[in-house]
Amino acid sequence: MKNRARSTVLLVICVVTFVMIMGFSLAGCENRNEIKIAVAGPFTGSVAAFGEMIKRGAELKAKEINAAGGVNGKTLTLLFEDDTGKEKEAGLVAQRIAGNRQILAVVGHFNSACSLAGKPIYQRAGIVELSPGSTNIKVCEGSDWTFRNLYRDDFQGAFVAKYIKNVLGENQKVVIFFDNDDYGRGLKDGFTEVAEQLGLEIIATEAYDRDNTDFKAQLTSIKAKHPHLIFISGLYSQAGLIASQAREAGITAQLFGADGVDSPDFLEIAGDAAEGTYVSTPFVFELGGPEAQRMAMAFEEAYGIAPDTWAALTYDAVGMIVEAIEKGGENRKAIRDHLASINSPEKGYTGITGLTYFDENGDCAKPAYVKIVENGRFVPAAEQMLGME
Amino acid sequence: MSQFLEQIINGLVLGGIYALIAVGYTMVYGIIQLINFAHGEIFMFGAYFAFLCVTTFGLSFWFALPLSMSLCALMGMLIDFVAYRPLRNAPRLSALITAIGMSLVLQNLARLIWGARWRKFPAEATPALLTGNAISLPGGAQVSFLDIFIILLAVGLMIGLNRLIYLTKIGKAMRACAQNRVAANLMGIDTNRVITVTFAIGSALGAVAGVMVGLREVTEPAMGYYKGVAAFAAAVLGGIGNITGAMFGGVILGVAEALGAGYISSEYRLAIAYIIMILVIIFRPSGLLGKSTTTRA
Repeated sequence: MKNRARSTVLLVICVVTFVMIMGFSLAGCENRNEIKIAVAGPFTGSVAAFGEMIKRGAELKAKEINAAGGVNGKTLTLLFEDDTGKEKEAGLVAQRIAGNRQILAVVGHFNSACSLAGKPIYQRAGIVELSPGSTNIKVCEGSDWTFRNLYRDDFQGAFVAKYIKNVLGENQKVVIFFDNDDYGRGLKDGFTEVAEQLGLEIIATEAYDRDNTDFKAQLTSIKAKHPHLIFISGLYSQAGLIASQAREAGITAQLFGADGVDSPDFLEIAGDAAEGTYVSTPFVFELGGPEAQRMAMAFEEAYGIAPDTWAALTYDAVGMIVEAIEKGGENRKAIRDHLASINSPEKGYTGITGLTYFDENGDCAKPAYVKIVENGRFVPAAEQMLGME
Repeated sequence: MSQFLEQIINGLVLGGIYALIAVGYTMVYGIIQLINFAHGEIFMFGAYFAFLCVTTFGLSFWFALPLSMSLCALMGMLIDFVAYRPLRNAPRLSALITAIGMSLVLQNLARLIWGARWRKFPAEATPALLTGNAISLPGGAQVSFLDIFIILLAVGLMIGLNRLIYLTKIGKAMRACAQNRVAANLMGIDTNRVITVTFAIGSALGAVAGVMVGLREVTEPAMGYYKGVAAFAAAVLGGIGNITGAMFGGVILGVAEALGAGYISSEYRLAIAYIIMILVIIFRPSGLLGKSTTTRA
């Protein structure tokens, strides 16, 4: 009896081992002509319009790469992972990605809070996280595995403050209305510091919660202070509602949003109230080179709408990862080492959004631009402040 | 002073919306002791129904509002029939978990059908009566027509509901069921019908709140969760099971939120409202108007 039980157990172990070996070798076979990278972003949730553009930007790049012969002759496959723009979800997504050995690198996350949540998990697993949208100062700090291909919020905050002073006038009374999360708070701090040095008068700082859609209470107290300008340090969906509710409440102040407001959906949600709003942004297609124009045309042909800033940055991020695979090697560590070696303008990666190279943190120095809403469309503002440090 | 008045009005609008949703929670709880978590989702569907009526079908807003109410009433009855009725005599926890499941299913269903994007009610579909510019009150405060409309509508519907419950036969049956469902049944009241009507009325009122939020703010799949939780808190604050309590709870919570954001700290807007709720619960565990009863064995 005992013997039989033992042999049954042995048999089961043999079968399981056999199946596992077969399974792994099959997976290995499949792996040989496929390169997998993950794209993590808010594909659903309150900022899904970002996710939609990120997805399409990545897909377009992958399509072009595969049409041109793939990565080292292998097909590039993108795995889209939805973090819904929430850090809790981002942590789960990061664990899932880190645990899948077939995935060589991650393009993402988008929201700063999500990139921050993923960072320690990616670092532990040793997989590159290249964000095309997170601007919080701390995103790349303390991890050798996290990079981004756009500016940081201390730069953006200072840029906006200087733009307001240089272009819109000296004696501006400014109210800051910020999203109470990593991105909104960090950018508010960056802006406040420089604005005070420049002598802008910050007469109030109000916060809102990402989940809220009623801003009337805050706007009522903002209105009583009669500001010239309201700086919205947050994302497009709430900013759109803030714009329309501010106009309804009779606030006539100039609105200035940060890059989180730079999405076509801002125009949709705000409607007529969007008119005249300024936004700072890491990229403007109209001011990009011929490659950017070609990408914009291909994008419109494929999806029927014009790409936005985030589609462009994701397009470049996928390009950078692929270059790192081709030049570095087909494993997680080689990709990181290659990205880390891009540390001077000469070694930089030239994408449609300009030249990207990293400092020792994984941050990069890239310019900021300003757009304005005219006749229901974002257009480059007449005054730009390029080359400003 | 004008700012204070404006904040009070902001609070009353919010409170009116919370109250409209909260009565749906409280009525159902009063009769079958179930916290219908799917109620927030009915509110959200109400907003979407009206949105679709005016955009896809090009109907007038004044037709879209009652249509959305009827559709939500049907939906409420259907949810009860499909999800809760089979569990009527099961332990309460089973029904509660079913309600949470129903809420998740409906929220994701909406996301699947309409996408996660925020939808703003088209300006051209908003009735002219409600788009008028802000009017000035004595003292310099400005109020929009829409806000006044929401407050009046909420007050009107609350009075209507109150009359319905105290003056009609079905209202009497509802009160009887709330006191003791088994005894009411023994007295010849068709309790299942009463429960169906309760779901229908609560859902229709939730739909009104949904349409108003869609009109004033935005329509999106997660809206039912955020506003639903606040309305549920309002129902608890007022004493769950007590309809007048839910109305007052909604108003208190809304005004606390607006004044908290306006005068204390906008960062802790919701926290301030909930602290007030917690304080009330500490001193009156059954809520403002709730009766303290011992649980029946």
